[in-house]
Formats: sequence, C-alpha cells, structure tokens
Amino acid sequence: MRLFNSLAISATGLTAERLRMDLISSNIANINTTRTAEGGPYRRKVAVFAEQLEQALGSRQGYRGKGVQVAAIVQDNSPDKLVYDPSHPDADPQGYVHLPNINIVTEMVDLITATRSYEANVTVLNAGKAMAMKALEIGRG
Amino acid sequence: MRVFSNNTMQILAKALDTASLRQSVLAHNIANVNTPGYKRSYVVFEESLQKALGKNKGIILAGDKPGHIRPPQTAAEVRPVVETDRNTSLRQDGNNVDIDAEMVQVAMNSINYNAAASQLNSRLGILRYVINDGRR
Repeated sequence: MRLFNSLAISATGLTAERLRMDLISSNIANINTTRTAEGGPYRRKVAVFAEQLEQALGSRQGYRGKGVQVAAIVQDNSPDKLVYDPSHPDADPQGYVHLPNINIVTEMVDLITATRSYEANVTVLNAGKAMAMKALEIGRG
Repeated sequence: MRVFSNNTMQILAKALDTASLRQSVLAHNIANVNTPGYKRSYVVFEESLQKALGKNKGIILAGDKPGHIRPPQTAAEVRPVVETDRNTSLRQDGNNVDIDAEMVQVAMNSINYNAAASQLNSRLGILRYVINDGRR
C-alpha cells in the first residue's frame, strides 16, 4: 500500500542517518587512538549515501523511489596528524606520533547535520502515520 | 443515477491517491537530503486536473484513430505524474533538495489529505442520511 510505502522510505532515512551518527561517534571516540587491528593509527570513517530504487519494473504510477541506503563505509585517507612526542610508545624513529586524521569541528558539524536530518525524517514519518490513521476514518462519519 | 461513480467521488479518490503518492515522493526526497548528486522529484497533478475540469465545456474531438489529435483529457483520466527536477543544484555535491521547501510540502500535503478525507466522509454521510430516509 502506498502509505506504508512512504513510512518504509522514512525508515530507510532514519537507518542511514543513525549509521552515520554511529560512525561519527566512533570517529570522535577514537580521536587519540594510535593502535588498530590493521596497524597504525585509526582512520576517519565516512558513510557514502546512495539513492535506493525499487528493483521491480512497472511499479504503479511509474514511481520507483525507495529511500536511501548506505552504499559503503569508506576510510578517509587524508594524511595523519603528526605530534612530536618522543616519549610516546608509538612514536616513529623521528619522534613523531601519528594521530588519527580526525578534525573534531568537522565531526561535530556532521553530527548536527545527521541529527537534523534524522529529525526531518521523523517528522515526515509522523505526517505519514497521521495520514494512514485518517484513511481508517473514511466511511465512519 | 450513479451513486458511487460520480465525478466528485472519483476526484476525491484521486486526490487521496495523489496525496499518498506525494507523501512517498517527499519522504524519498527528505531521506536523500544527504545523498550526493541526488535530484528531487515532485508530483504534478492539480494543474492537469484543473485543465481537464476546465476543458469539459468545450467541443470534444473524436480521437478514435491513432493518427488523430488526442481529445482533451477528462477529469477521470487525469493521473498524477512524478517528475524530476534535474536543472538546479543547491549544494556543491549536486544535491538539490531544499529541506525547508520539502517540509512545508509535507505539512501542506497532509492537510490536503485530511481535507479530501473529510470531504469524502461528509459525502458518505449525506448518502447514509438519504439511505436511512432522513432518520440519521
């Protein structure tokens, strides 16, 4: 049904924004991490969003929109932050510590964007829900 | 007399259909507000309906052969069409979803839906009144 379709679309938006928020939390939590399983410092992770379309052809009224999906989680390969600290156990031979390439300001701005987009999706979800409830009232009056 | 298949009922049903389609399209736009390169879609319906309602009074051409000029659409034939706005860009990444405009559309759309549903309800109420011989 069309209305439940719109609720499902909003749900994809919520999922995607929440995943982005998870990545931002992970980035901020690891802002000083110098050891990872892959070796070297933690690298900033970013979600790549892509439009999601219905696979089936000939859907009703020709509309194939199905929301958003996270197509990939990619590593940001910008250079590490270098801090001179020879006493640090992970310092390189020149005495520099490689810290993650995370800029806290960028992360906070991204966090606000993700929160606001999440809220926008909630608003649309509520509007769709109200419409579905109104549809149930047809013929009762 | 046709009780359920009159023009008003059909147009109200179409208005409800259009509002729910539009809700999906708006939800899709807003879900993709952070998708790089995404272009917004929108539903065209009211203008075509207006045109169809206005044209009913004129002379109607008989378009019974494939080569003929199509006769103007009647209100019952008008369908909502989803179109994509590919010409604008609001941001560096090519996305053109204007979140403010979309949220206003969501508000307007749900009011429209409620209005159409109420209209339909009151019409059905009148029918019930008549069926019950004026006794409610």
